[in-house]
Amino acid sequence: MIPVGHFLILGAALFCLGIYAVLTRNNAIQILIGIELMLNASVLNLLAASRYDRFNLNGQVFALFVIVLAAASVAVALAIILNVYRNFNSIDPNEVNKIKD
Amino acid sequence: MAGNTLPADQLTAFYFALFAVCFPFIGFLKNLILPDKFNDKVSIYTLAASVLCCLVLLLYRFNEPEFVLQTTWFVIGKTVITAGIWLNHLSMLMLLLVSLIALAVHIYSVQYMEDDERYPAYFTYLSFFTFAMMGLVIAPNLIQLYFFWELVGFASYLLIGFWYEREKASSAAKKAFIMNRIGDVGFLIGIFIIFNLYNTFNLTEVNGIKTAEILARNPGSLTVASLCFFLGAMAKSAQFPLFTWLPDAMEGPTAVSSLLHAATMVAAGVFLMARLTPVFTDSALLVMAVVGAVTAFLAAYMALTQKDLKRILAFSTISQLGFMMLAIGIEAQAAAIFHLITHAFFKCLLFLSAGVVIHYMGHFHDAEDSPQDITRMGGLRKKLPFTFAVCSLAALALAGIPFTSGYLSKDAILIQAFEWAEGKGFLFKLIPLSALITSWLTAFYISRLIFTVFFERGEAAKSQQLIVTSFRPSTYEPKSYWMPMLFLALCSLFIVYSWNPFSYEHSWIFASLNKHVAAGSLYHILIPVVVNLGTIGLIYLAYQRYVKNRFSKLSNRGFVYKLSFHQLYLDRFYELALVPSVLFFSKAIFAFDRYVVDGVVNGTALFTRKISSISSWFDGYVIDGFVNQTARISGIIGHYFRNFQSGRIQRYLTLMLFLLLLVCLIFVFI
Repeated sequence: MIPVGHFLILGAALFCLGIYAVLTRNNAIQILIGIELMLNASVLNLLAASRYDRFNLNGQVFALFVIVLAAASVAVALAIILNVYRNFNSIDPNEVNKIKD
Repeated sequence: MAGNTLPADQLTAFYFALFAVCFPFIGFLKNLILPDKFNDKVSIYTLAASVLCCLVLLLYRFNEPEFVLQTTWFVIGKTVITAGIWLNHLSMLMLLLVSLIALAVHIYSVQYMEDDERYPAYFTYLSFFTFAMMGLVIAPNLIQLYFFWELVGFASYLLIGFWYEREKASSAAKKAFIMNRIGDVGFLIGIFIIFNLYNTFNLTEVNGIKTAEILARNPGSLTVASLCFFLGAMAKSAQFPLFTWLPDAMEGPTAVSSLLHAATMVAAGVFLMARLTPVFTDSALLVMAVVGAVTAFLAAYMALTQKDLKRILAFSTISQLGFMMLAIGIEAQAAAIFHLITHAFFKCLLFLSAGVVIHYMGHFHDAEDSPQDITRMGGLRKKLPFTFAVCSLAALALAGIPFTSGYLSKDAILIQAFEWAEGKGFLFKLIPLSALITSWLTAFYISRLIFTVFFERGEAAKSQQLIVTSFRPSTYEPKSYWMPMLFLALCSLFIVYSWNPFSYEHSWIFASLNKHVAAGSLYHILIPVVVNLGTIGLIYLAYQRYVKNRFSKLSNRGFVYKLSFHQLYLDRFYELALVPSVLFFSKAIFAFDRYVVDGVVNGTALFTRKISSISSWFDGYVIDGFVNQTARISGIIGHYFRNFQSGRIQRYLTLMLFLLLLVCLIFVFI
């Protein structure tokens, strides 16, 4: 049996990778991938936690929810990215800086 | 106060007097505001109206009781200063005298000043002067009197300096003004003392019964007050030693000299003395008598040697004013005023004649020579017959020959002087004796003038004379001169004053002014005889000396001659002793003002400036610095935080992450 700490470490590592991707990538798509990584890290955590809830399996249910929501959010995010591309002719977030003071 | 309790006749008289005074003023105002070629006519007609008023007043009011009508002028504290009119014998006589003399001079001036470029201004000044003098004689209180007294002084300044482009005339005007100021100070102090003693400025009250009471209580102050008033009169009436302005004032036009310095202005001092008689204490009166006698004698002595026609007349005026002062001093006010009136007419006439002579000579003199030098004249009898006639008459009046007005008034003074000295010590006798000698000197110098100017002289003198070949008498004696001069000549005769040519006591003027009846004495016969014998002898002597040229050994070089010619060197004395000290004093005051007063002011200013600059530095560097530094620091901080708002979404996210971590750490470890 794989101890639960390993899942958590893997989740944390995935989350950190996701954050790293979000913070450093110059491409909006890659940022979106980073976000997906973080979502998946959280899903992994939910699944690990679900081991202690064998009867209701709330963790797995939540994991399904998260996957659904992720799919929805990716759809929205892609739409946004498409529009950004139309307006700025680029999807580099450094160039989309119109909201500064 | 105004008139509702007064009888109607007094009110009428009041209005007549008011109009008499105001007419010349109206003329003056018109001439001042709207000067045009009618200035002379305006002046003459307003003055003629004024003469008419005075005449009516004198005819209808002269024997009525005197009265004062006054109204409030202004109020200081509880003291009411009034202005008004005081009509009594003295003021009515003076009103008529001033207006008549002024009218004669006005009419004479039309021709005399004809060629002057400031002809209209001349009449403006004359009107103003006449107004001031007439205002003076009616004044019922000291303040009003002083007010007009100053106006007279100012008007005389304008008229003496009328030809101000001449250096001598303008300095003579200044001299007259400054010397008069000395007297004015005395007058003013006198007024203050009088107010302190009597608590009123009203002349009628001052002259009233209170004097006896104050005399008993405070004789010293009253004597000082009297002497202060006398100082004022000394300056105005050119008494020794303040007379030196009068000969210099002859720089003015001759018509002006006749009005100011013979007839009216210089009479103001004597008039003041006559107005204030009851105030004077015995010791003050004695001083007046002595000063009068000294002035009369010295001025006559100086007149003996002068060469300038007008200066001789000026000294003669001073001498006669000395006589009047003497009369005031011996309490013979009636005689003083009587002499003032007679003297006004004949002296005015003498000056007007001198004006004719000067105009005549002016056509022949060369640049260096003055047309007024009598040694250059001679034989004018035939050239100017009319002038000769009236001038001789005036000269006889001045010398005091019987049947002239001068005889009456001069003998009045001489006789009363002798009566006054009767029973007093030997020193008191000197006063009437000096007056007697003065009247002889008068006869001599005036006959010298007449003989030198009008008679042909001997060969020795002829070399200096200017001989005139072609002339037309009408050019120099135009008809417009005749009327005023004939009128003045008439007034130099006894008949105007008294039906009896030998007795001054029968003269209506003297009788109206005289308060106490003097007992007849031997002097009434003795004095006129002695005086006139001496006078006639001296006239004969002068005739021999100046026409026949005998006694020409009488040297012109002696000390006595020089002393007389240079007016006792008084001018020199003033110039060397008094003027430098006054100038030094002024300079000292100026230096004090410059270095101490200004120094304090400038020092304060400097100090304030230093303080302000320190304050400004503090303000600029400390207060402003604090404010600016605060603003700068805020700016720096704000600028720093602005950098966070870069618009880069990943930055924001990084920041959020770190802050989140920070919060977590804080919660974990604390």
